[in-house]
Amino acid sequence: MFNLAFSYIVDCRKLYNSKSYSEGHTIRLGGAILKRNMYTRITIVLFIIGLMIAVQYNTIQKPAERDTRDIWAIREELAQEKQRHSALLAEIRSLHEVVDRYEQSEKVNQQAALNETLNRLKLQAGLTEVIGPGVVLRVEPAPELIEMGYEIKEISPDLLTQLLNTLFKNNATNVSIDGNRVVQTTAIRDINGKTTVNSIPLSSPSFEIFVGTSDYKAAQKMYNSLQASTFIDSFYLDNFNLVIEEPIEQLQIPAFDQPLTNDYLAEVKKGD
Amino acid sequence: MWLPFLGLVFGLALGLLTNIQIPSMYENYLSIAVLAALDTLFGGIRAQLQQVYDDKVFVSGFFFNIVLAAGLAFIGVNLGIDLYLAAIFAFGVRLFQNIAIIRRILLTRLDEKRHKRKKTSIE
Repeated sequence: MFNLAFSYIVDCRKLYNSKSYSEGHTIRLGGAILKRNMYTRITIVLFIIGLMIAVQYNTIQKPAERDTRDIWAIREELAQEKQRHSALLAEIRSLHEVVDRYEQSEKVNQQAALNETLNRLKLQAGLTEVIGPGVVLRVEPAPELIEMGYEIKEISPDLLTQLLNTLFKNNATNVSIDGNRVVQTTAIRDINGKTTVNSIPLSSPSFEIFVGTSDYKAAQKMYNSLQASTFIDSFYLDNFNLVIEEPIEQLQIPAFDQPLTNDYLAEVKKGD
Repeated sequence: MWLPFLGLVFGLALGLLTNIQIPSMYENYLSIAVLAALDTLFGGIRAQLQQVYDDKVFVSGFFFNIVLAAGLAFIGVNLGIDLYLAAIFAFGVRLFQNIAIIRRILLTRLDEKRHKRKKTSIE
């Protein structure tokens, strides 16, 4: 039975393939199968054509960006990644230490470990007063320019921000501007013509910037790099004198005295 | 009827979405292969309209033409002769011829249909 059907289909195919085949000779069963076969093949061929056209289009329109960096640029990037790697490793180590301390103190006194962590975090966030080595910068109006009749305006927030960026680039740990501690959320901006830090106007024209560093050597380095920088000239352009004082061992930097708002942090629920 | 068209769309979508790219040195081969494929496709359509379509001829022609065209281009590159121009010329001319024949066949069919309609309306 099956053989019969198969031979019928083969016969149909021969008939279909022969040139004498025309619409007049319709063979229902065999014709349908052959047509389906034909469509499948054409579909596959068209799929390949579509794929080839798309690949060609991709290659012509969006050529893959070639890496044209030379060995020096790659080395620099590698060095950056290495630095990141070591910073991450150091963080992991410090966290491990915290875990160890918790585990050790679990039996003795958990409260003390928690307090210690809290104090460390407060110190990091700038909520505590810090005493240590540092440099004092004084911003005062240039007297000769005042005598010449120049008008002393507010110091520009951009200049202060740039100075602050340079300070932190030179490894400053704690900074306060005119008694306002600079923390993560500090904004230096112009409010109604007054330059403000933490939304408190500066007592311009004369104020002090305290820059705390990790040790005295770092303070000396900071002093030297600030002396060599162009900031003295930049401040003079705005009719101010930037006086960089010699580094001192005991510099008292005030705490951040406003409430910290954290809109995005949420307390972890118990059991999470 | 719509299955082949669906295959084309699916192939295009797959190629564009996966963003497959080939090295730029093989660009020439692929462009010739695409031309050969299009030539075979239009040849197939023409054959179908002239009722001389053969599955084997179509499928074998498709692959053979692609390989031949790419092979010719490859030999040309290695010998320093722009042989791919020959392939482009041959396929290009045939493509135009085939499309012209398809157009004529469709036009005569359209005319025949109109005549038939007129006849039936007169009767």
